Amino acid sequence: MPTTDTVTRVNAAVTLRGVSRVYGRGAAAVRAVDNVSLEFPRGGWTAVMGPSGSGKSTLLHCAAGLEKVDSGQVIVGDNDITSASDAELTALRRTRIGFVFQSFNLIGSLSAERNVALPLRLAGQRPKPAEVRATLARVGLADRARHRPRELSGGQQQRVAIARAMVTRPEVLFADEPTGALDSTAARTVLDLMREMADAGQSIVMVTHDPGAAARADAVVFLRDGRVVDHVTGAGPREVADRLAAWER
Amino acid sequence: MMGMSRAGLAERWPLFAGAFLSVALGVALVQSSLLLLISAATYDPPAGWSEAARMAASDNAVAAVSMLGVILGIATFLAGFIISSTFAFTVDQRRRDLALLRLVGGSRGQLRRLLLGEALLLGFLGAAAGIPAGVAVMNLQGWLLRRMEFMPADFEGQWRLWILGVSFGTGLALAVAGVLVAARRGSRVRPLEALRETGAAARVMTVSRWIFGLIFLGGALALIIVAPHGGVSGGVAMAMNVAMPAAAAVAAFSPLLVPLLGRLIPAGGVTGSLARANLADARRRSASVAAPLIVLAGLVIGNAAAGASFTTAGADQMRAQTRADLVVEAPGPVGDRIRSVPGVAAVSTETAIPATVTTGSGEDQESESAMAMVIDPAAYAAAHSAGDALTALRGRAVAAGPGGDVPSRGTIRLRLPGLDLGEIPVVAGVPATMSGGPNVLLAPGVVPAAMLASAPTQSFVSLAGDADPPAVRAALARVGEVSTADAWLRADAKDRNSTSDKILLVIMGLGGLYALIGVINSVVIGAAARRREFAEARVTGLTRGQVVRSALRESFAVTVAGLVLGGVAAGATMATVLTTTTAVVGKGTLDIPWTLVAAVIAVALLVTSVTSLLTSLSATRRRPVLLLGATE
Ligand SMILES: Nc1ncnc2c1ncn2[C@@H]1O[C@H](COP(=O)(O)OP(=O)(O)O)[C@@H](O)[C@H]1O
Ligand SMILES: [Mg+2]
Repeated sequence: MPTTDTVTRVNAAVTLRGVSRVYGRGAAAVRAVDNVSLEFPRGGWTAVMGPSGSGKSTLLHCAAGLEKVDSGQVIVGDNDITSASDAELTALRRTRIGFVFQSFNLIGSLSAERNVALPLRLAGQRPKPAEVRATLARVGLADRARHRPRELSGGQQQRVAIARAMVTRPEVLFADEPTGALDSTAARTVLDLMREMADAGQSIVMVTHDPGAAARADAVVFLRDGRVVDHVTGAGPREVADRLAAWER
Repeated sequence: MMGMSRAGLAERWPLFAGAFLSVALGVALVQSSLLLLISAATYDPPAGWSEAARMAASDNAVAAVSMLGVILGIATFLAGFIISSTFAFTVDQRRRDLALLRLVGGSRGQLRRLLLGEALLLGFLGAAAGIPAGVAVMNLQGWLLRRMEFMPADFEGQWRLWILGVSFGTGLALAVAGVLVAARRGSRVRPLEALRETGAAARVMTVSRWIFGLIFLGGALALIIVAPHGGVSGGVAMAMNVAMPAAAAVAAFSPLLVPLLGRLIPAGGVTGSLARANLADARRRSASVAAPLIVLAGLVIGNAAAGASFTTAGADQMRAQTRADLVVEAPGPVGDRIRSVPGVAAVSTETAIPATVTTGSGEDQESESAMAMVIDPAAYAAAHSAGDALTALRGRAVAAGPGGDVPSRGTIRLRLPGLDLGEIPVVAGVPATMSGGPNVLLAPGVVPAAMLASAPTQSFVSLAGDADPPAVRAALARVGEVSTADAWLRADAKDRNSTSDKILLVIMGLGGLYALIGVINSVVIGAAARRREFAEARVTGLTRGQVVRSALRESFAVTVAGLVLGGVAAGATMATVLTTTTAVVGKGTLDIPWTLVAAVIAVALLVTSVTSLLTSLSATRRRPVLLLGATE
């Protein structure tokens, strides 16, 4: 029988224990993340909501090892990455986590398929064209493989970014406002795609300020002034919006 | 938002083109200078020439070799400087791309290898283009050397097969050395920087920048301090070398200095305040445009001022030392004829003969082309304020002349055209002067009369107190061409000035052009990354005209700052010139070539303004919404 501790570790894709991140010093210090303890479940889709400036992005960056924490512990799977070296974090990004951001962040000079193949090539693998095509097909862009990002719509670019994040089969996908720059139709396509991935067992941590987007997730965490103030599971858009409105008051 | 897609190849090509160009032109310049230096050093006058002509040609070649040495030094310095600043700038402009690679799993080592690999490729391609370009540059420089009579008409720069290796090596080494520090810095970019919209600039005054800056500052200070104690030739050479480290030091500190000077731009109107804010914000870009300008202004103005000042100091010194009323130019031993003219009190007849001087013995033996002058020691001492320095010179012996290069004691081997004088003791010497002159002084009996008969001779004539100058002049005109000593000295000074101008043109001309291309490079590279910034300014409500005007004002401010800082570097040279001339000729002399200063300012402002205008117009050609990707 596994101990409770092990159960926790196995079931959580990412664990934060008392994590704080402070920007600036003295009077100008901002506690962007303030003593947050959270578990993002494995195989689940968690949305992080909160007003602008509440520390959502900082929390995501800390959880993904992009930002050092000032105190607390960050555990991805069963690896404590709190004080991981640059090489260890690089290895983590290569194989175990993927990112999607509001601003797509594709490399403009590379075609969609080469953007998708990039993480594999950086990891020293020789990507099989079929594998890359299959990943693009999964996001519905099989016929856009040779297009450059600027020849794609925003929604298509974001789907390329998702394909790029997924091509390494990461344990966790981190997404910061993935629909923030998209119109509602494109946003729905992207959210449908993420829902599909979550149903297939993909762990997803998504930051958003859109209640409609958050309602597609399995659970929603509310953040305010860097602290977790609420936590709901299985709520619809109306309930998420009401709770957000309550906390923004 | 289009995010990274704005990093498309279309926007990145100016970076690579700029880096490529800096290598190609740098390699061309270094290769040409090296080939010409070797061609001049191994130059043999045609066998058909008389020995006197061959010796004279060799003496010219010696002067040309030392000039080409300076050209090679400056070319190498410029190439290293321009290439490394261009490469560092291109790496810095790509921080977001690099951060993105880090975000999707790239390691520091991979980024470093990527940047080094790129530098190797650009170095290779640049050298491949620079080698044929270098042949064209060599033909041009060779033509200049012949045209300005530094080398005889049959001189030509010669191609050597091994230069292929040297030039490829130069291109690769300079590109890699140039990118080394930048690559290390670039590879340490934090992945999160990929998410910053403006590609936040890294700290610009890095530790390595401080170290480089302080090293160059130390070098410049050392030269400034030592130059006055270096004697004539040492002092002049050191003063001419101050501008390079001084400019490099000022350029290293320019990220601190340029924004400070930028505060001087009037903040009038929205374009003015935007320009000022941009200048302070984009330190890296400002510094990259200012750096080649600093080197251009510092080197060209500093060395032109040094050349002109030393020439003036030399002429002043010569005027102060010359005791004569008239100068007669006529070939051969005309001394007796001049002395027999009524009213002539004294005459120093000086006949120039090309020579080869060999000093040292055994391993250290060294032969050099030189100028020997046959004189009457007592008359020469009187005409040139040499006091009793030459009283020991008589019989089969020589004295060290004002041209230097010969020890004033000991033994040398002296060869004149068609006559080997063998070992000959140096028994006296006059101090070296700023304006130079013959290296060896000979008493008349040593040289056969036949050799003197047609050799170029000048006679310095002093009149008796009761002489009737016009009558004496008229009588002397039957001997040769007569001029007053004043007029002769003026003509001589003018002649030397034009020689120093020509030297400056040969030395600085192409180097200055290269630095100017470096400036254009930086402006173009800087503007390439600004499309988005311009578009944002426009959606904020600025018109295209206002954006372009603000870019122009910013470029104007950077140019002025670069020129002022270049002036500081030139000022270091000028200070050295003052202390050195004070030490050597007893009077501080500074001759600032104002026409050239004005020309440098005008050209720099014109070039940066036109480049900024064109690049900002092109960067704002598309409607801003297209660039900001609001089409979704
Ligand atoms: N790099 C930074 N330096 C200083 N302050 C920062 C930095 N990043 C974020 N902050 C501050 O931390 C707080 C939380 O920011 P962020 O995590 O971006 O919020 P959110 O994503 O919820 O809008 C804000 O007050 C913000 O100003
Ligand atoms: Mg955010």
